Amino acid sequence: MNVVITPAMVGQVVVSGILAGALYAMVALGLALIFGVMRVINIAHGPLLMLGAYATYFVYSVTGLNPYATLPISMAALFAVGVLLQRTLVFRVVDAPELSSLLLTFGVSIALVNLAQLGFSSDLRAVEFLTGSFVAGPIAFSKSRVVAFLVAAAITAGAFLFLKSTRLGKAIRATSQSREVAMVCGINVQRIHLLTFGLGSALAAAGGTLIAMIVAIQPEMGQVWTFKSFLVIVLGGAGNYPGALLGGMLLGLVEQLAALFLTTQLSEAVAYVLLVVVLLVRPTGLLGGRQT
Amino acid sequence: VSVPRPAVLLLLVVALAAVAVYPAFGTGYGVRSMLQLFMWIALAGSWNLISGLTGYVSFGHVAFFGIGAYAASILITKAAWPWLLASLAGGVAAVALALVIGWPCLRLKGPYFAIAMLGLNEVLRALVSYFEGLTGGGFGLSLPTLQATLPIYYVMGAVAVAVTALTYLIITSRFGLRLMTIREDEIAAEAMGIDTFRHKLMALLLSAVGPGVVGGLAARDQGYIEPISVFPLATTITMIVMVLFGGKGTVWGPVLGAVVLFFLQEAVWARFIYLHQLLFGAIIIAVVLLMPRGVLGLLQLKYRLPRTI
Repeated sequence: MNVVITPAMVGQVVVSGILAGALYAMVALGLALIFGVMRVINIAHGPLLMLGAYATYFVYSVTGLNPYATLPISMAALFAVGVLLQRTLVFRVVDAPELSSLLLTFGVSIALVNLAQLGFSSDLRAVEFLTGSFVAGPIAFSKSRVVAFLVAAAITAGAFLFLKSTRLGKAIRATSQSREVAMVCGINVQRIHLLTFGLGSALAAAGGTLIAMIVAIQPEMGQVWTFKSFLVIVLGGAGNYPGALLGGMLLGLVEQLAALFLTTQLSEAVAYVLLVVVLLVRPTGLLGGRQT
Repeated sequence: VSVPRPAVLLLLVVALAAVAVYPAFGTGYGVRSMLQLFMWIALAGSWNLISGLTGYVSFGHVAFFGIGAYAASILITKAAWPWLLASLAGGVAAVALALVIGWPCLRLKGPYFAIAMLGLNEVLRALVSYFEGLTGGGFGLSLPTLQATLPIYYVMGAVAVAVTALTYLIITSRFGLRLMTIREDEIAAEAMGIDTFRHKLMALLLSAVGPGVVGGLAARDQGYIEPISVFPLATTITMIVMVLFGGKGTVWGPVLGAVVLFFLQEAVWARFIYLHQLLFGAIIIAVVLLMPRGVLGLLQLKYRLPRTI
């Protein structure tokens, strides 16, 4: 296989990588928030994204609403699911050893995927809405990916603004820095936990809505997103929220480059090698330690 | 290392003898079921060695099973190795993989290892599909026909016994105490002078041997392997459920969990695949929240049984 690699192909790869990167960053921010505030790695993060994709699919196919307009619906629905999960199950393991929270959310993840298999069947479904590409010279951008990039960038920016400048956002960051001090300052930590799990799930749902128009929807589409989101967090540095942006872009670029120079099959393996190398060389992430 | 009481030893000998003569009386189906049960005991016991003892959760233990299956099958088909030797080589391959993953991930505290294991079987599946020349890619590998159910029955049984005996030896040794110290409080373990990285890595390597060998044996037994058949997430889930249900961090918990859940699965749940998986998810949640030490833990508390069972 001898493929000549032209500058246009490299340009295409960089553009595709950045387009995918914003989605990764947004979804990973959800996982990072939950981890930062509660020290819980939510293994069910990917399956929550899958539920978000189904929410969009069903609202779109039942009401015919513009699928992008389903975004608030799927985010609100999954916010509620997240709050419910936190309220009934996850709060019990927040202070338990890590093993408990990992296994608990793993159990939730299995349950969600198989509930989806039972409820929605494992048929592939698609939201065919914005097909085709924008063409600029030798580079083509898939329309749905461009819109996904813009929406993801906007939502991520909104989330940062919320964390940075609202009272609730500050309370979340305070809780993530030190729960005890936050309590002393009069923050209701239990409520912050509920809010955080809801927000994290809503960010996953937003990812689900956006990729519902890009890839096929099926119950097992989500699991790989748990792993990728975690990879993004590790790349950016755990507990470092802006790091997720860098991590997302980096993962997007590496995957696209791997697909260009190797094959698409191996691009997943390359992402994995990236994780192992980063853990070996710089386990605190590329941007360094905890700074919220 | 303490020696169990004579009555317990006698009971064990009787049980082993019964299992050993079973093929002379049992049906073909019965022998196959027992073979499967041995496999699950070995797999569950192995998962317990890393996750039950050190508290580092492996979400991808099936990777060691799968790489053992592929290593053994390749050696059997391409190099005409005898199946027993090839299966042992499968164990070696699994240990090598464990070293590659454990070295970077276990140096760190926290969830890194768990997540790295979560992605591992997907990656191996992709790699196996990519290197078609060696692995047959998506078409899989067909092993030469061979009627060896009975020898495989005994070897699989021996692996199950070996894993359980190893667990007993570890739990009753200072090495095991150090592993459990890491599980309870890793920082305290370090302060006591335990080289936590080396202990965790050793536990992982030991926990990879069994699945590697068992993978090779299972591949030989089935005569055909393909990427989806040897790297299913469902296998990892089943191992985890068996150990949690029986009692993690104990010698007999994985055995108890494997026996109970395997027979329930054969008798009832195999007909409802998604419901069955859903139930497994529910069992994991319920055990973590309601009885973190599993059935055996409850019995230990109620009847004041020793910690070393």
